[in-house]
Amino acid sequence: MIALRIACITCFALAPLGAQELKLPASLDALAAKANEVVDVTMDANLLQFASRFLSDKDADDAQVKKLIGGLKGIYVKSFEFDKTGAYQESDVESVRAQLRAPAWSRIVGVRSRKAGENSEVYLKTENSKIGGLVVLVTGPKELTIVNIEGAIDPDQLKELGGHFGIPKIEPDPKRKNGEKKDE
Amino acid sequence: MDDFEQLLKNALGRKEQPPAFEAKVFAAVAGFKTRRRIFWRWASEIVAVMLLAGGFWMRYERETQDRAAGEAAKARLQLALKVTVTELSKIQKTVRTSTEEE
Repeated sequence: MIALRIACITCFALAPLGAQELKLPASLDALAAKANEVVDVTMDANLLQFASRFLSDKDADDAQVKKLIGGLKGIYVKSFEFDKTGAYQESDVESVRAQLRAPAWSRIVGVRSRKAGENSEVYLKTENSKIGGLVVLVTGPKELTIVNIEGAIDPDQLKELGGHFGIPKIEPDPKRKNGEKKDE
Repeated sequence: MDDFEQLLKNALGRKEQPPAFEAKVFAAVAGFKTRRRIFWRWASEIVAVMLLAGGFWMRYERETQDRAAGEAAKARLQLALKVTVTELSKIQKTVRTSTEEE
């Protein structure tokens, strides 16, 4: 019990210093002060393992999430929503994008909405022909979201989480037409 | 020798102990020892119960704290997955819309 306690304290203490392979610029942390809404989640392997202990095998949703995070080394999310445009620098995003290069990384989706000025990208990391990481990069005039999932991840499993575990199920709206154009 | 001296002599004179005196003394000492033993037994039992209760309380507190930390970690995981799935769904929706338009 004492060992567990020490492990938990160490997890929480060292969580911000987690060995995240993708280096996020320090300037992103300063954006929190400017942002209207902030989501900042840092979960390394130890914290994920700790959280999985509180996921029940009997509960279907919990079991699904437990299976999903079983092979993960970390989940890091930084999401900011601003009231005004120009709150962040494009160079901040570029420094992240520069790390997501071949051969380790490949961009599987790139969506640019000229009308809304939004850019969405999904990168996959391949290790020995297996997915070893996932990065979602969403930038908009008033939004910046970086999701970095390290470890063996199955995107289909992620998709299946919609509607479970408190995650809203988002159905595609066939009526929506906003002039977005895909650049890939 | 006047009466006073006689009284004093009688008072200070050697007297033989009553036959049951020794037994009474030993019984009193034994009674004291028994009471002391009972006191210490009760005291040690009370201390043991207090230690046990303290141990259970500490364990309960630790488990409560661990559970709270675990639930917090679970909530963070939930939030992280929520953001991820939401963003991926938005992207998927946009891609579908673009494909339909084309």
